[in-house]
Amino acid sequence: MTSTIIEVRQLTKKFKAKTAVYNADFKIARGEIFGLIGQNGAGKSTLLKMIGGLIHSTSGEIYFFDRSESKDQSFFERMGLLIENPGLYPQYTAYKTLQLLAIAYGLKSPNQYIIHLLRLVGLDASDKTKVKNYSMGMKQKLGIAIALLGSPDVLILDEPINGLDPQGIVEMRKLILELNKTGLTIIISSHILEELSKIATTYAIIHKGKIIEVISKDDLLLKCEERIELEVDHVEEVLPVLEQQLNISNYRVIDQQNVHIYDSHIENHQIVHLLARNQKLVHSIVKYKMSLEQYFLELTKSAGELHA
Amino acid sequence: MLNIFRMDLHRFITNKIMYILLLVFCAFQIFGIFMFKQYAQPIQAGGIDISKMNESEFIQHLFSQPPSWILIYIFVFCVYFYFSEYNSGFYKNYITMKKARVYSVVSKILVQAIFTVFMMVAMVVSDLIGRGIFFDNTSIGDLGYFAKLLIGLFLLLWAFSILILCTSIFTRSMLVSFGIALVLVLNVVGMIFAVLESLLDNVYLSQYLLVSTIYSTFDYNHGRDLIHIASVATVTLLLFAFIAIRLKIKEDLR
Ligand SMILES: Nc1ncnc2c1ncn2[C@@H]1O[C@H](COP(=O)(O)OP(=O)(O)OP(=O)(O)O)[C@@H](O)[C@H]1O
Ligand SMILES: [Mg+2]
Repeated sequence: MTSTIIEVRQLTKKFKAKTAVYNADFKIARGEIFGLIGQNGAGKSTLLKMIGGLIHSTSGEIYFFDRSESKDQSFFERMGLLIENPGLYPQYTAYKTLQLLAIAYGLKSPNQYIIHLLRLVGLDASDKTKVKNYSMGMKQKLGIAIALLGSPDVLILDEPINGLDPQGIVEMRKLILELNKTGLTIIISSHILEELSKIATTYAIIHKGKIIEVISKDDLLLKCEERIELEVDHVEEVLPVLEQQLNISNYRVIDQQNVHIYDSHIENHQIVHLLARNQKLVHSIVKYKMSLEQYFLELTKSAGELHA
Repeated sequence: MLNIFRMDLHRFITNKIMYILLLVFCAFQIFGIFMFKQYAQPIQAGGIDISKMNESEFIQHLFSQPPSWILIYIFVFCVYFYFSEYNSGFYKNYITMKKARVYSVVSKILVQAIFTVFMMVAMVVSDLIGRGIFFDNTSIGDLGYFAKLLIGLFLLLWAFSILILCTSIFTRSMLVSFGIALVLVLNVVGMIFAVLESLLDNVYLSQYLLVSTIYSTFDYNHGRDLIHIASVATVTLLLFAFIAIRLKIKEDLR
């Protein structure tokens, strides 16, 4: 059973004339990886900053549920943030940065823990390089180590994959999945849906400040799966033929004329051929494959038209 | 609370800039005393004999000649210390802690108090060295008076540093804060008030302004003067500390 850890209700943020986030409504389940997808300027960072307590909402509420489930609170301490870019003192080393923060967190003899965290994110604790000489990817990694220092329940990562090289991306994904396995709830944003497709369990798509869809990983994959869309006179007359002759078993009947076939071993011409032999009229048949990115673009396009 | 303060304290004592400021201040203070000796006006021509002053008189004499260098060092430090955290975004790393915003401001205020004490110690030590070398005079005068003077000055300077912190939080810009701080140190506000007062009758507000009070010479043995200093210092101190915390709580952080 999944329980809610964060609930956002009617959350709105206005900057003077600009509405950055409008009426956001969603729940995040404990232990999930919640992917927030939106184009540049969609309002991702603004939404995450509100959840992380960096900025105040104009209206609406955010509820945090602690482990006892019943009690909700408007304040949540057990959160680690990496929003926009990590906040680092340029003249400090990674180790010194964590040491300084360990004081604020009141950690007693934190040295072993710091070394462990740095190793976890792939940094070297004995490295004397100052943070100002770090590469973008190293800064992001240190940012995650910092966010983990307080042993949070929720980790908020705003575009952590930004600026990483392909190998860095693979490592980051691995790290996020590993952290999630330990029970950490992770909220992660990106402007590329594809990027999160390998990790997130739920997606919220934000466009021009509005959450236009919240969809589970399974539902999303279903929508993007390759399929044959077949239109005939009577679906119920055609199905037995397809089942018996072509071994089709994975399909979805849309209405009396339309059926979507998901069996990947079937080709269009096989169906046309078979139905012609059985004197069944095919109105149309198309092979349909939508990439995640296409799906995202179509969704945002239709949402854009809606508001135009 | 204590933990965030301990973190700021650690950053404070491991900060080279702080020590450099103190050293440069001492050097210039001693150099200033040397210049007093070189270019002192003869007493007959209306000059004052600085070499015969005790430490209390000497400090009061320096503060009566605006702009005060010690105020400049204090605002440089305060603006620097605040913005090095603010501009780096380091606060994001602990902002989710309970009452982090309030504690982070209180902690800055406490660090500033320590820096103010350091500055005053540096001032007294470099004065004694400078006066010892160039005037052959290290007298402190009445110790009770000296102690009252230092405590009064400390409160006024600390209040000034909180005013600067408040300005920094409000403007969110290091350069603008430096600009405003400079205007405050030159006591432009006090001068404007004084001009306005001269147009009105029976209004004497400017003497209660913080910076004007710092630049005025008081008799620390005099009850009325003590009350004036204590009330100006505590009122500004509490007022601006309160405003600084409110501003920080309301602020949308980057
Ligand atoms: N402090 C601010 N003042 C005014 N407008 C702002 C402020 N912060 C954000 N905005 C505006 O709000 C909108 C959303 O910004 P936000 O940074 O949340 O987008 P984003 O989805 O994170 O974009 P990106 O992918 O580029 O990081 C933008 O139009 C931006 O210009
Ligand atoms: Mg952003």
